[in-house]
Amino acid sequence: MSERRAVPPWLQEKISASLPGAERRRFTHVGFMEKTLNAITKFMDDQLFSEQIAKERGLLQTLDPRAKLLSVFLLILTTALFHHAFPLILMNLWVLWLAKSSGVPLSLFTKRVWIVVPLFTGIVVLPSLFNVVRPGTPVWTVFRLEHPVTLRYLTIPADVAVTREGLAAAALLVLRAGASVSLAVLLTITTRWNTLLKALEVLCIPAIFIAVLDMSYRYIFLLLHTSNDMFLARKSRLTGRLRPKEARRFVASVMGNLWGKTTALGTEVHGAMLARGYTGTPKSVSHFVMKGSDKVWLALVCVVALSLLGVDRVIL
Amino acid sequence: MHIPDGYLSPSTCAAFAVIMIPAWSIAARNVKKWVKSKYIPLMAIGAAFSFTIMMYNVPIPDGTTAHAVGGGLLAIVLGPWAAMICVTVALAIQALLFGDGGVLTFTANCFNMALVLPSVSYLIYKLISQRTELTSPRRWIGAAVGSYIGLNLAACCAGLEFGLQPLLFHTAQNVPLYCPYPLTVALPSMLFAHIILAGPVEAVVTALVVRYLQAYKSDLLDMRTLATVPNDASPAPLSSRKMWWALGVLILLSPLGLLAQGTAWGEWGGDEMQKLLGFEPTGMVNLSDTWSHAPFADYSLPGFDSFWSSAVVYIFCAVLATAIISLLTYFFWKFQKSESKA
Repeated sequence: MSERRAVPPWLQEKISASLPGAERRRFTHVGFMEKTLNAITKFMDDQLFSEQIAKERGLLQTLDPRAKLLSVFLLILTTALFHHAFPLILMNLWVLWLAKSSGVPLSLFTKRVWIVVPLFTGIVVLPSLFNVVRPGTPVWTVFRLEHPVTLRYLTIPADVAVTREGLAAAALLVLRAGASVSLAVLLTITTRWNTLLKALEVLCIPAIFIAVLDMSYRYIFLLLHTSNDMFLARKSRLTGRLRPKEARRFVASVMGNLWGKTTALGTEVHGAMLARGYTGTPKSVSHFVMKGSDKVWLALVCVVALSLLGVDRVIL
Repeated sequence: MHIPDGYLSPSTCAAFAVIMIPAWSIAARNVKKWVKSKYIPLMAIGAAFSFTIMMYNVPIPDGTTAHAVGGGLLAIVLGPWAAMICVTVALAIQALLFGDGGVLTFTANCFNMALVLPSVSYLIYKLISQRTELTSPRRWIGAAVGSYIGLNLAACCAGLEFGLQPLLFHTAQNVPLYCPYPLTVALPSMLFAHIILAGPVEAVVTALVVRYLQAYKSDLLDMRTLATVPNDASPAPLSSRKMWWALGVLILLSPLGLLAQGTAWGEWGGDEMQKLLGFEPTGMVNLSDTWSHAPFADYSLPGFDSFWSSAVVYIFCAVLATAIISLLTYFFWKFQKSESKA
């Protein structure tokens, strides 16, 4: 897997600065620079990697991007409508199969979805499992108090227990979030950003908004590159410790400076556009052709969505 | 504050789409009016800037780092409408690229972070800085206070959105379908994190950036000077601004009625009629059952019995009603305008 990475490993190495005088915990605030630099590198790496996956010839890559966008939107909407855990599990399994047949490495996919979602959503829902937050039918008593304790707004019952309702709600939320995130990740990882943006027209999003999105994505790389340079320049001049106050002032200065560069860049880009005959209305060139297989795919997605909804509403 | 998919019901997201679509179109028109053909490059690069500064780590006193949102900062340098577009674009890229914030919940996220946050920050910034010089200390104080309050109000909105879910959407067995926490848990926990941690970070960073710009590039603090095209008609000052302020105050005061006992004259329900008259008119009995599906019957929700929680529901109802009325009025006005043109 790692050899498929676009950025070579030596470029991604996390350098931990062992600067003189930086050992004392209170002043080791060079960390904020490395974190920012690492975040920028990771962003670039992720983007290059998705481009690689998008170039492969899997199931989803061969579809018309408009059909793919519509189907993913439809499936996310269906996922939001389910009331039971069973159809959500089926949906998740189906999405995993889709990922596999599109050449997305399952280890990466599960890492992106099934480590992030349970970590984030799991922590969020954890308190709601107990009858302290929501009363319900106890399933497993964690510990017993001598009598219920009332703290202003919160009443802790004598038997602190995990409730059936809490478990059901947590399962619903984690499965729902998992399926939605999987679908969104699958869409973006199998479609090149430019193609995806052009396909947004199918959702009736105005061309001007798409043009802004498109340009914005391009300039993110330039601004990140500039930020990278500014952080690196500061870091390479750093010989001692940096007080938190100075560090905050430095980050704010970088932001202010970047804003100056941003406006100057905006003016230059505008001039360049005018010189190339820009009149104020964006024109998009797209050569999408909806093939027969795309229509079959859309029909298949509708059938899957409707039958899963049927399972959810009629059978269960 | 990025709400992922699965936490809000599809109907909540649709309700926010109803608010956001006209808001976006008004913003786009307002900005385009004074930046003309420069609109696309300026908004695009502004959005890229907004996205980039969200990636910066800011050291905080406990030795770790936090992120700044930068919505308040953008509103100060670009104005609230342009900031709304830039933050929306940045949020779209985050949702599609990182899965940071959901696809369906995009409208709700935009309401909190692209509408509430920049506009509140900007209003407070303007209120404090008034017409002072660009280098006046009132500018950075206004920036700090504005971004702090703006961020917390946005967090408050997110808390309200989370907290209403278990009340409105649950199964027959009382299992919440979406976010499981009621308002009494969701609202304080959202606010606590933002008042203590994220709010101060945002305020300090915004103030420091404004001070940096004051010291080195003070003309950048007022976007109109750099973006206005000559002979461009500046947007007309809002003559109805005072009325909007009065409306805001009225909305905030709306729960005062809860303090009064009894029912408004002429609005008695069947049981109150029974007490007053000794009998209940049969016509009323028949008619009163015709509409029993109001989602917020008596402007209240089950489980909101204390004064403060009913006050929150009152304010929510008032804001919702005002939004619906404004929308209808806006569409009527548009319709009338297009007819008179024809």
